[in-house]
Amino acid sequence: MTTNEVIGLLRKGRAYASRTRYKEAVSYYEKALALDPGNPETWYLRAAVFMETGRNMDALSDCEHAIAINQNYADAWSKKGHALYNLGRYDDALFAITRALALNGNDAAAWYIKGVCLEELGRDDEAQEAYGKSLELEIILDMEAEKKKMGK
Amino acid sequence: MKTEMPLSRPLRLFVSQTETLLDTEISLLRNPEADPNGMLVDVYTYDVDKNLIIFPATYLGLLKDFIIARHCVHLLIKGAAAKKSRYLVCSFTGDSVYRGIHQIYIDALKDEAKKEKKLPVHKLIRMLNILYTSFNDDINELPWNPITNARVYHRMPQIRKSQLYYLMKEGKADMDEMMEYEEVIPRRYFVLNKSMFYARDQYLAKTLPADQLMPVINIPQMKKFNHLEVKEMLTTRWTHTSWYQSKIFGDNMLEIMEKYLQKIDWNAEPDLDYFHDIYRLGVQMTNHFISYMSMKDWFVWESPGHLREAQARKGEYENKALKKIFGDLFEESPADSSGGKL
Repeated sequence: MTTNEVIGLLRKGRAYASRTRYKEAVSYYEKALALDPGNPETWYLRAAVFMETGRNMDALSDCEHAIAINQNYADAWSKKGHALYNLGRYDDALFAITRALALNGNDAAAWYIKGVCLEELGRDDEAQEAYGKSLELEIILDMEAEKKKMGK
Repeated sequence: MKTEMPLSRPLRLFVSQTETLLDTEISLLRNPEADPNGMLVDVYTYDVDKNLIIFPATYLGLLKDFIIARHCVHLLIKGAAAKKSRYLVCSFTGDSVYRGIHQIYIDALKDEAKKEKKLPVHKLIRMLNILYTSFNDDINELPWNPITNARVYHRMPQIRKSQLYYLMKEGKADMDEMMEYEEVIPRRYFVLNKSMFYARDQYLAKTLPADQLMPVINIPQMKKFNHLEVKEMLTTRWTHTSWYQSKIFGDNMLEIMEKYLQKIDWNAEPDLDYFHDIYRLGVQMTNHFISYMSMKDWFVWESPGHLREAQARKGEYENKALKKIFGDLFEESPADSSGGKL
């Protein structure tokens, strides 16, 4: 069970990551992992930071840890697909991204990564479909963000 | 190209073509605090050793592709100018600031004379500074917008849908600029500001082509000027509204825009000469706009470094200009804490 202490560490890690202070973010995630290695979210968050710093192999490994704990963790599948794409493993990336989208079809970034994977595999028509879906979702998210901004 | 994010194939080709033509490297950076338009930090404008395109972290897919593509075209134009001749921008000096602010002051006096509720002097002074700066920013940015958009449209058909969405949003946001000050600033400047955006949007509506981008369709305040009936034209005083005047001036500015941009073959294979020609046309078009708006002696064509230096000394230039206009009535303030608001 995730303790309050772990939740607090993850919050701090996220705050640092959002300010691109990745070193500090990783150190908080590592403290959280030491307390509770069974929390998939911690592995996923550290994977996200590894991705930002170009550590694709480490990111892939963390995503696999997260998925081993929770097979239905859509974000972890999506991040895994992204890491595999960066490593040039397009077939594996497409498999992971397809799994992510089966779990959560509203992930605009995942649809985009699916598009680039399909392009790499020479499946251009399917790629265009994936890009179209990605744009549709991206526009919805952008319009919602605009509404929130106007509300403020 | 330096990036850790996946990019669609057409965009990758577009970026790498830009790098090859300019013999430079481009880094792409996602930033949660980036402006929705993204930002180009380039070696031709700033004291940096590599080019950086920054875009908002919320744009993950084709919206990001569009922003990157547009900045790539702008980078090509700047780079071609720098390599083939000189890359210059509209900068200002102490004298040109005085001429600009003085002109705005004269126009403001004329408008104020007709108003019942006069603008307090401190607000009037702040308005002079804000308007001058705003026109300097707009004249440096706006003429390049239709150019970069037309080029992206013709060279990257894959991102046309995201371009259209983005431009509709940009059109609305730009038309909202100065809205809250419509009754405060001299009519002439409100109208000129809207006219520039009107001309750009109308040009893009024709180029893409996309009726949705036409200001009389996209901009709520202008919708009533689409299909005006004769009876309405004869019986209402809409011709006196600032929005109608913006449409009339905007149509004239559109003609200016088309005069220059029709010379460009948007589908031509790119080389440095091609982008240098585009740069020259952009400069000519900017000069024509400046002249049309009667702002000929407000700005000077100088290096980007000159503009940075001028921006650092802006407060000093403004204070000197205001002292010259108001004499001892004007008291210098060390810093403007208004944050650009009246």
